[in-house]
Parts: sequence; structure tokens; C-alpha cells
Amino acid sequence: MTIPKPSPADARPRVSAGRRAIRTGVFGGFRRTTVWYAFVLPPFALLVLFVCLPTAQTFVEGFYRETGPDQRQFVGLDQFANLGTTGVFWDALINTVLLGVAFLALVIPLAAILSAMLNHVRRGATALKVIYFLPQLTSSVAVALIFLYVFQPDWGLLNGFLHILGIDDVPLWLADPSFGLTGSRAAVTLLAVWSGLGYFILIFLAGIQSIPVELYESAAVDGATPLQIWRHITLPGLRPTIIFLVMTGSFDAMARFGDLWTLGGPSGSPARTLQSIVMLMYQVGFVSHDTNQAAAIAVVFFVIMLVLTVVAYRAFLSREFKARS
Amino acid sequence: MTIQKLSRQSANATTTGRKQRKPSRGATRNRPNHLPQIVLVGLLSIGGLAMVLPFVWMVTTSLSRQSNSAMPRTPTFWPPDPSLFNYEVAATSLPIERFYLNSLIVVGLTTVGYLFCSALTGYAFAKGRFPGKSFFFIAFLSTLLLPFETRMIPLYDLMSTLNWNNTYWALIMPFLAGGFGTFLMRQHISNLPDELIHAARLDGASEFRIFLQLVLPLCKPALAALAIINIIWRWNDLLWPLLVTSERDMYTVTQGLAMAGRSTGIHTGVALATATMAVLPVMIIYVILQRQIIQGIAMSGMKG
Repeated sequence: MTIPKPSPADARPRVSAGRRAIRTGVFGGFRRTTVWYAFVLPPFALLVLFVCLPTAQTFVEGFYRETGPDQRQFVGLDQFANLGTTGVFWDALINTVLLGVAFLALVIPLAAILSAMLNHVRRGATALKVIYFLPQLTSSVAVALIFLYVFQPDWGLLNGFLHILGIDDVPLWLADPSFGLTGSRAAVTLLAVWSGLGYFILIFLAGIQSIPVELYESAAVDGATPLQIWRHITLPGLRPTIIFLVMTGSFDAMARFGDLWTLGGPSGSPARTLQSIVMLMYQVGFVSHDTNQAAAIAVVFFVIMLVLTVVAYRAFLSREFKARS
Repeated sequence: MTIQKLSRQSANATTTGRKQRKPSRGATRNRPNHLPQIVLVGLLSIGGLAMVLPFVWMVTTSLSRQSNSAMPRTPTFWPPDPSLFNYEVAATSLPIERFYLNSLIVVGLTTVGYLFCSALTGYAFAKGRFPGKSFFFIAFLSTLLLPFETRMIPLYDLMSTLNWNNTYWALIMPFLAGGFGTFLMRQHISNLPDELIHAARLDGASEFRIFLQLVLPLCKPALAALAIINIIWRWNDLLWPLLVTSERDMYTVTQGLAMAGRSTGIHTGVALATATMAVLPVMIIYVILQRQIIQGIAMSGMKG
């Protein structure tokens, strides 16, 4: 890689000579253009075959019903109307949203505090970062399997600690299908916070480091306490980071599957309290083999993700405008 | 999985750009008193302990034979009867080495193919001039809006039609081309000086040779980040392997672990021994490559 950098004086004639050498007639120019299609078309073909066509097919199938082997009938919006009246669908949707909101409401404040602390650590910050990130790198399946035993009511690690702390009225965690955010839902939320915290801290740290250092210097001159500095400089400066994390966290929460499937199976036991929308899609499509109904769920899922994307773009765009004005 | 990539990218365009200028504010700020440091590190270490303890508990429980029948009410972090019994049971009942082989083949080939395709299209969109370029680029970008979950059922049908179920093809082929990799590589290659590529053209090198011998070696940092994200993502995926593989010999590590955990009547010690065998090698690699992995994730904003 030792190509000498041409000085501006001799660069000009060389480039134009090169142009002449390359474009020898119409054929040379033609070849220079067509070669790019060899770069783009094979991956493009893969994209069409494995991404675009299957997605389009989902949209078509959502409007049909299977009436016999290899026979189907156009039913318009029937599949969607059917979804709206099935409690299972609403349960899964509410579940997914509820678990996502609970996760973000816990993980964002926690990561904000921990990253602010970590930012002030002078020695050992890297080691702490590596440790906090450890569960994030472990697959959600492995984490779920470990926590299946951590949450064991009688001898699990968590209740064991609660016993040591003198709490005898311990929760049943995964064995408790009660509604709301106790029992199994609390368990999977704790699991998600435990395994997702490292990523949120990492992004928060990058956000903290993007805040102009002059703001901190003038605050130090004014004699502000560290807590005041955090409240009035760091926190407002982290607004874009928080928007980013809320949006990407929502995408991940909507698509949650691996850990809940490992803990609750396709139906999200106990009592469907752990069934996410993707798990319902899996169950309807591959356990009940109702492809068209599953396609309708997939279309709803797509619309939700699209709305979230639009909201994310708006949030980012408004931020850019504010930064410019 | 794909829909969030664009927004992640745009957030980091602003965060990482500025980060370069002031790398270490926390370190340069002077704080003469040592007490807060001790308190900070102490508090953070308690949190760190909470991160590590479940893993330690997993390993110690897996090393105890009696954990299969009776577990102590108070958690212990040293096996009362250390033995590899659970590992022997797990290894004879599950072909875990076969799971590893499958995962290595699938993740390895997918990552090589994905990096190659991304760099190929990234180079064409960054430095190429051809009719329809913006159409193709927008087409690649818009696939970011299509979540995998939306297409998985027809994609499964396609695999059945091709007779690819229970083969590596089904686990590899759908993940070779993607909008995110194309976008990341285009951004990176755009920053390479045009003169360099012109000079190579003057020497009579073909576009493909320029790509292989000039562009690819200059893209190493971006390729490394993309590889890390893709490896984590493919290694940890459960949904797709669950759909297309039903034979146990085709399971990946993640799927094999999930199936073992779901099987009824598995004993605690054996289950945790299986989990340890699935988790520990990944952890060792993480500790060795932690700097690159954390940088790659902070750079792209993606966690795989």
C-alpha cells in the first residue's frame, strides 16, 4: 500500500491521461459501467428473493383464507377482524407492550445513574464495563435458562438472597401467573434489565462524552455540586441518547422472542403471561398451522414497527433542527 | 431486527463523531479527595457482582452431583461434592460438539458472505458510476424497514419448496445480503480518497482487483465491527433455526440449549452443565477480544 501521493501540480495531467487511457472508445466506457452491475446485482438478487418477495407474500396471504389443500379464497379484511375479536391476540400485544414499557422504565434510569458513576471512575472503569456487558453478550436463550433456576421459588439464587436478607414472604416469580407486573412478568423484566443493562450503559457513556466539556468547566467555575452538574448539564445533554435508546429499546421489545420462548414455550406459560406478539405469530403459524392468520399478525407487527420508525425519525429530525437553529 | 438499524446508525453519526475530540473527560478532571472514588468503585462493584454471580452460581451448581436431587435453601458458591458427573450426562445425552460445529459453520459462512456482499455493494454505491445507482441504493436501504418477523412464514415456505429445511443452506442463504451492511460499508468507503482508486485504475487494475486488493484491506476496522455485530446476531438467533431445523444433528448451540432447557424432566445440574458448555467458550472469547467487541458495538450502536 505504498502509492505515492501525487502533488497537485502533477496530478492533473496524470488523471486526464488516465481518463483517456481508460475510455478507449465506446466499448471501454461501456465496460467501466457494466462492471458495477456485477457488484450490485448478485446481492440485489438475494435481497429480492429472501427479503422483498417473502414480505410481499405475507401481505398477500393476510387477505386470504385456506379453504382446502392448495385452495384459498380472498376474504378481504376478515383475518384482521378475526384478530381484533380474539382475546389471545390482544393479550399478546398488551403483554409485549407492558413488558417493553416496564423494561425501559427500569433500565434507562438505572443505566443513566450507573454510567454517570462509571464516567467518574479513574481506575478499573474498563474492567467494570466488561463485566456489565457480559450478560448482554450471552445469548438470551442461555440467560433465560440460567434464570429459570435463579427464579426457582424454593432454592433459586434470588429467593435465597431474599432469605438471607430476612425476607420470608418471597415471590414465586415464574410460577406465579398473576395479572399485572408481579410474578412471572416481574421475573422476565428483571431478567431483561440484568441482561440489557450493559448495552444501555455503553451508549450512555458515549452520549456523556459527546457533551461539550466547556459546559462542565463553566459549571465548575460557578461552584456547582456534582449532583447539580449531573441534573442541569449531563441529563439535558443526554436527551438525544435517551430518545435513541427508547426507540431502539422499543424495537427490540416488540420483537422479543428467544428468552420468553425458552422460559414459557410457544404459548408463554404460565397462563400466557409471557406470550409476546412474535411468539403468538410462531404459535399460530407453526403450531396451529394457520398461515393466513399468522400473516395477518405479521402485517400488524409490520405496521407497529413502521409507526415506531416514523416516530423515531421525527424525534431525530426535530433534534437536528434544534441543533442547527 | 432490521428496522432499528437505520435509527441506530443516525444516532451514532452524532455521538461518535464528537467523541473523538474529547476522549477522556472523566480521567482528566481533577478530584483530589480519594473517598468518592472508593465509594464509586465500591457501589459499581456491587452491581458488577450482581452481573457475575448468576454465572458463578451456574458453574458451581453444575459441578455438584447432588444439585440434581436437592438444592440448599441458602445459595452456595462452592459445590459440596465437586464432580464432572453432570457434564458426562449432558455430553452423552446431547451432541454438544455437533451443535458447536453447526454454529461455527453457519455463523462463519454467514459472516464471510455478509461481509463480502456488504463490501461489494458498499464499494459500488460509494465509488461506482452507473445508471440506476440511486434506485438500487434506495432499494437496499428500504429493506431496513422490513422486519425479519414479517417475512419469516413465506421465507419458511420458500425453504420447504427449495428442500432446504434441515440443511445449512436454509440457515445461511437468507442472511447473506442486507441493507445495514451495505449502508455501513458505503459510509466507510466514501471516505477513502478517490485518487487512490484512480491511481489503481491507471495501472490497469480491474474494478474487481481494486476492490479485493485495495479497498478491502483499507476497510478492516469497519469490516471488524460489522463482523462482530453479525456474529453476535447470528450466534444468538433462536427464531429462524427453530423454524427450519427439526433434526437434532442440525441444531445450533443456541437452539440445542433452548431445546434442552424446554425438555421435561431435565435435572438442574445437567441443565446448568449444558448451559455452562454453551456459554463459557463464548465468554472466554469475549474476555480476550473485549476491547474490539465493545468498540465495535459503541461505534455502530448495534448490539447484534
